[in-house]
Amino acid sequence: MVIGGVVLLAGAGFFFSSPSGKRSSGKPQDFSIREYRNDGSRMAVPGNRYLLEGRVENIETIGNSRIVAVSLKNNRNERLPLLVAKDTVLDVNLTRKDSFLFEVECRTGRDSSGNEVKGILVVKNADSTK
Amino acid sequence: MKRRILTMLLMPGVCCIAQAQMPVSQAPAQQQSAPPPAQSPSQPQLDISGAPANNPNAEPANPKLLGMEIPLLDPSNDTISYNGGKFDVGNNAVVRAKFEAYLHGTPDTSEETRLYSKKIEKILKYVRGHYKSQQAIGSDALVQIGKTLYSLSEVPTDGQHSGVLASCIVTALDAQRANRTRTIENSKINKELDSLARATNNLSKSKTTNNSFLVAYNTKKMAQKQADQAKNAATNVQSELAAKVSYQSNMVAFLLMRRYDHAVIASRVYRHVFHDGDNTMKIEKDSKADQFLKSTTGLPPTVNTVDALANEARTSVDKHMEAVHSMLAQNKLGEATQHLIEAVAIGEHMISVLTFPVEGRRRVAEYWSLRKRALTALNARDYGTVDEIAAKMKSLDVEFDDSMLLSYSAGKKRQSDLCIRNARKALLAGDDEEFNRCITEAGTIWPLNPNLDASAKHLEEFDNNSSVLAEFRTLFARKEYRTIFKEQERFECVAADPELKTQYKEVILVISTIDAMLKQLESVADQDRVMGPCIAYEKLVEYRTTEPRCAEDPAYKDALNMYAQKAHDFVQALRDAEECENRREFGSALSNYYRALCLYPKSTLAGQGASKVSDIIVKAQY
Repeated sequence: MVIGGVVLLAGAGFFFSSPSGKRSSGKPQDFSIREYRNDGSRMAVPGNRYLLEGRVENIETIGNSRIVAVSLKNNRNERLPLLVAKDTVLDVNLTRKDSFLFEVECRTGRDSSGNEVKGILVVKNADSTK
Repeated sequence: MKRRILTMLLMPGVCCIAQAQMPVSQAPAQQQSAPPPAQSPSQPQLDISGAPANNPNAEPANPKLLGMEIPLLDPSNDTISYNGGKFDVGNNAVVRAKFEAYLHGTPDTSEETRLYSKKIEKILKYVRGHYKSQQAIGSDALVQIGKTLYSLSEVPTDGQHSGVLASCIVTALDAQRANRTRTIENSKINKELDSLARATNNLSKSKTTNNSFLVAYNTKKMAQKQADQAKNAATNVQSELAAKVSYQSNMVAFLLMRRYDHAVIASRVYRHVFHDGDNTMKIEKDSKADQFLKSTTGLPPTVNTVDALANEARTSVDKHMEAVHSMLAQNKLGEATQHLIEAVAIGEHMISVLTFPVEGRRRVAEYWSLRKRALTALNARDYGTVDEIAAKMKSLDVEFDDSMLLSYSAGKKRQSDLCIRNARKALLAGDDEEFNRCITEAGTIWPLNPNLDASAKHLEEFDNNSSVLAEFRTLFARKEYRTIFKEQERFECVAADPELKTQYKEVILVISTIDAMLKQLESVADQDRVMGPCIAYEKLVEYRTTEPRCAEDPAYKDALNMYAQKAHDFVQALRDAEECENRREFGSALSNYYRALCLYPKSTLAGQGASKVSDIIVKAQY
């Protein structure tokens, strides 16, 4: 009975120590944009990697970088902003209304003043779902 | 001639009315001592009056109104300038009262008066007949006339004047009779003197002692007889003169008392009473009566002068009364009144005046009353009443020219209103002195101007201004703009202060804009219950950035809260985005902005926020 309790606590501790879903692996993860919005610091732990399947709703190009707004399967009413940095070369051409598998990494950057820019999901790679 | 009769009737000492009516200008002593009429500010000055162009120093003539000059009151000496003369105020009222008493009196249409009139006419006809034929009226006829006149003196209409005339005739006849007796006596004395003279001559021839005594006696007796004779002659002359003076004085009195029938009878009987052919008036030289009678011809007055004046007056009165009847038949009340005034003034005791019907009197009285009220209202500067009276007079007399009355009244009203407007301006400018001056002038021009009440209210508000100003300052400092807006009329007076005026205008503008915007947003929210509240919320927030003072308005705050509740998700997304920004979690912030844009795609706030955060994200180094 004691062993069972320890296993349960360990399981619970693992669950709360990471965002919903698993770290980047071969399958898309169940990512909650709502939770990301409400508590980005808990979800977006720097260094975490996620594999997300999402549909491109909008692409905003700023300079040579792009911010891609994607909707996930579990909630099409939410938009998750993903940064495609200027030096990132993707295997596919991102187009609106098309779904892609995004490999993203949560990063904390620094602005020109050295202040933190927390919880940014940076696209490392993307692949078509077709 | 008629004017001279009226003037004579107005002479002092003739009768109480005449005394009362005496123009000030006819009294030299008063005229000299009286200062020139001052131009009092309270005296109504008619714009339409003016002095003759060729004589700038001449007093401006009174304007004419209602067919008569407007009596202008001079408060400096309590006189009224009227019809070329200056009349005492109280006396003028007596004149009016006399005419009004006539108008409200009952016509004397009794049988007694009719018979009286008939008998008087008969006597007049009789004496006129002898006047034309130059035949003498015998003593018996004169006695008969006297008896008839005595009988007429009992009639109330006569006022005992016929009795006086009869007494005059009888007295004159008695004097004539006494003179004749004395003349006969003198004839007898002459015979006695002749007899005594002859006897004395005979006695003188035989000079005895006894004869000498008799001669002396006769001589003394003759002297006594001669003295008696001289005394009788003198008494005759004196008696004749006294009788004439008495008769003539009564004759003039009849004329002055407007008893023209008696004056005519007396003058025409005169030469039949006094046979000496002397009809010159034995009145005191340069007396009022003498001046009056002389003024008609410039020659020494005679009995015929009195006769002419009395006849002229009788004819004039009858013509006026004919005109009165004619004008009344044509509904020309103004002219009828004018003729009746003159008829009453000249011949108050004439039968045609006394018997004027009550219906005619009533109509004239109504018109006269209105005219009197018009003049009173003009003098009182009650122009509202003047307009009402003018309308009534026009309804009574279609030919009544009310243009002058109305234009004068309208001019004064406008002048007074203009002063009130200037007073209001002065009040708003905080100029107490100018306000007082303008409001006093407005009241002087038209004391009963209804706008003066409104000005009094403004004045009261002006007095309370200090507390209102303090209250405004407090409310403005507390940013209780809505309270100021709700009582904006009360706070209007703060405009007297330039600084507060600006604040007042700003408050009114801000709250008015908020109210208009809220009304518009309410309509938008009703039309689209999903995005409408989002639109309304966003507009309210945007307005706050341009007008921060709106944030203090309860209505604005209530609306903002209401729309924030209705657009809860949208508002929450914006607030979360802002919180995330504060925590520098820009990814979450951008996601929140995206959420807000999903709920309201045209959101400016979300769009701007997303753009700003995107820029930060892109420019950061990772």
